[in-house]
Amino acid sequence: MADTTYDRQNPAFYVLIAILILMSVGPVIILLANSMRLDVDITSGVGGLIFMPTIRNYETALCDILWYEPEHLRFCQIRFGGAFINSIIIALISTALTLIFGCMAAYALVRFKFMGRDTVSLSTLAVRMIPPAVLLVPVFGLWNNAFCIDNDTLVGGWIRDTFGGRGDVCLAGTHSGIIIVYVAMNLPFVIWILQSFIVQVPKSLEEAARVDGAGPFQVFFLVVLPLIKPGLAAASIFTFRIAWNEYLLASALADRDTMTVPILIVNNASEFDGLGTIFATGMLLAIPPILFTLFASRQIITGMTAGAVKG
Amino acid sequence: MPTIRLENLVKRYGVVEVLHGIELEMAEHEFTVLVGPSGCGKSTTLRMLAGLETVSEGEIYMDGQPISAKDPKDRDIAMVFQDYALYPHMNVARNMSFSLRLQKTPQNVIDKKVKEVAEMLGLSDFLARKPGELSGGQRQRVAMGRALCRDASTFLFDEPLSNLDAKLRGQMRAELALMRQNVKKNMIYVTHDQIEAMTLADRIVVMHGGHIQQQGTPTELFKNPVNKFVAGFLGSPPMNFLEADLVEDGGDLRAKGQGFDIRLPDALAARAKAKAVHQATLGVRPSDLEFDANAPSDQSLDLNVVVSEYIGAQSVLICDCGGAKVTVELKSETPIALGETLRFAVRPEGLHLFDKTTEMAL
Repeated sequence: MADTTYDRQNPAFYVLIAILILMSVGPVIILLANSMRLDVDITSGVGGLIFMPTIRNYETALCDILWYEPEHLRFCQIRFGGAFINSIIIALISTALTLIFGCMAAYALVRFKFMGRDTVSLSTLAVRMIPPAVLLVPVFGLWNNAFCIDNDTLVGGWIRDTFGGRGDVCLAGTHSGIIIVYVAMNLPFVIWILQSFIVQVPKSLEEAARVDGAGPFQVFFLVVLPLIKPGLAAASIFTFRIAWNEYLLASALADRDTMTVPILIVNNASEFDGLGTIFATGMLLAIPPILFTLFASRQIITGMTAGAVKG
Repeated sequence: MPTIRLENLVKRYGVVEVLHGIELEMAEHEFTVLVGPSGCGKSTTLRMLAGLETVSEGEIYMDGQPISAKDPKDRDIAMVFQDYALYPHMNVARNMSFSLRLQKTPQNVIDKKVKEVAEMLGLSDFLARKPGELSGGQRQRVAMGRALCRDASTFLFDEPLSNLDAKLRGQMRAELALMRQNVKKNMIYVTHDQIEAMTLADRIVVMHGGHIQQQGTPTELFKNPVNKFVAGFLGSPPMNFLEADLVEDGGDLRAKGQGFDIRLPDALAARAKAKAVHQATLGVRPSDLEFDANAPSDQSLDLNVVVSEYIGAQSVLICDCGGAKVTVELKSETPIALGETLRFAVRPEGLHLFDKTTEMAL
């Protein structure tokens, strides 16, 4: 017991911590509470935290993907559910692609000797210095013109059927169009962060695997990849959050069917019937990144290479 | 089981040549030890054998087949690394079975093999543990086990004991010697520790500066080193070297130097005479010097004790002989005092002469 005595802290210290906690958690609690109230309760300003919770706001927000028709709605006005699914598709696929390309590129940059390696390594970082807004104009132009295929051509029809999009098939307004941009945007950072993890994998481990009979791909997938799992997790949290929150490029490239949640909320905030629905969408917007981060951070275990080699 | 032959093996890094035409042949089931100081090219040679370094020139033959263009996995070798290189995300059993699993061996065969090797190495209780939860010695054993699990014809060891503490190293050395008797494979072992080399090897290959200095059985190399380097490298404490003038006196040849005047045995004298050298380096091992106050002066050294290192039953004395340092071994109970001058008899067969410029043995 004697071990657990702490130094007496200044009470002001605890006050400060309490204020900080309140500042960060408070809005989330208000968001959660209000999302489960009827509009009348929200606007009346009474009751505080004591009220009859309702899921009506969530029903309103998700009306387009619910399997039943909520009683209180005459027709489904907002297409939040669709946008939610779009966001999840875009965020997950772009994260997955970024990680797949990123880990291979990082491995090549760390382990292989080829001409221009240092230049490539450096320029991956330089790309990050360009603000996304700079990308917007050229990408918008390219996606709308250069990568459009007419209805008439054979491939055009096939692409439209497979990936969706408008009448004349363009990358603009497709999931793929946004995903490609996100992958390009996040790749440099992911390569950069994974490089530092791959450098730490002892070279002799790879040599041991080669002597044990592993080919280059087996060395990479069976030995290197499991060891940089913490790096992959950190990188995936980062990319997922960017892809989930991104507004600028998505607003220019998405159309009605491929709109992501941030675009939908900004575009339609004024048209929602009632404050409660806005709070509900806010809450729904927050949930996936939280779940994803909780899941991914489980993989961040320090000391993955402990015991590999005698240092 | 194949014989291994290295033919004119050369390794260059850019313009720097680190191995200058290594010629070596290893017989079946032979335990070959490559030994030498850091940077002598022994590890590079081993890594070229494993296929981890490319061969700049020359060829490696295994059973008559050239293999230097093959991938490591196609060479039928197993290797134990200096730093163990265990896969930290796999437990001991999976570490040991990694290569078998890559070969798509049936699970029951894998289990049997792993069990067998684990029993042999005393790892049966640790099969479910990760490398991070093992001690240094256990990790070392797992590394060995991983090599043993795959039935390769040739085993390569890259300084496997250098990361262990002294006591454990002695223990593992004994275990290795035992394993060497039980496992009939070609083994090639790299070390900078001459004790490991002497105790384990069927054949020692002493390397220095990218050249093979001498190869042969431990006894051969210990008794008849071809040059000053080999003489000084093998044996502990190392051989003493004294600068001497060779003077003919009647029919005898005497080695004269600061504080000594030794009559050389006939065979050695004849060889020195044939070369017609007048100056040479006299080499004598500490173990060939014997404390004997009554020895004749032409077969002994008078040494002034400077430092006495007590190491148990034996003491190592560092003495002064006309400005040169000479080490001798002595039973600890012999009463001596620092600063005393003692007479040590030299065993005639323990005398070596080396050319001053070429450093070759005479």
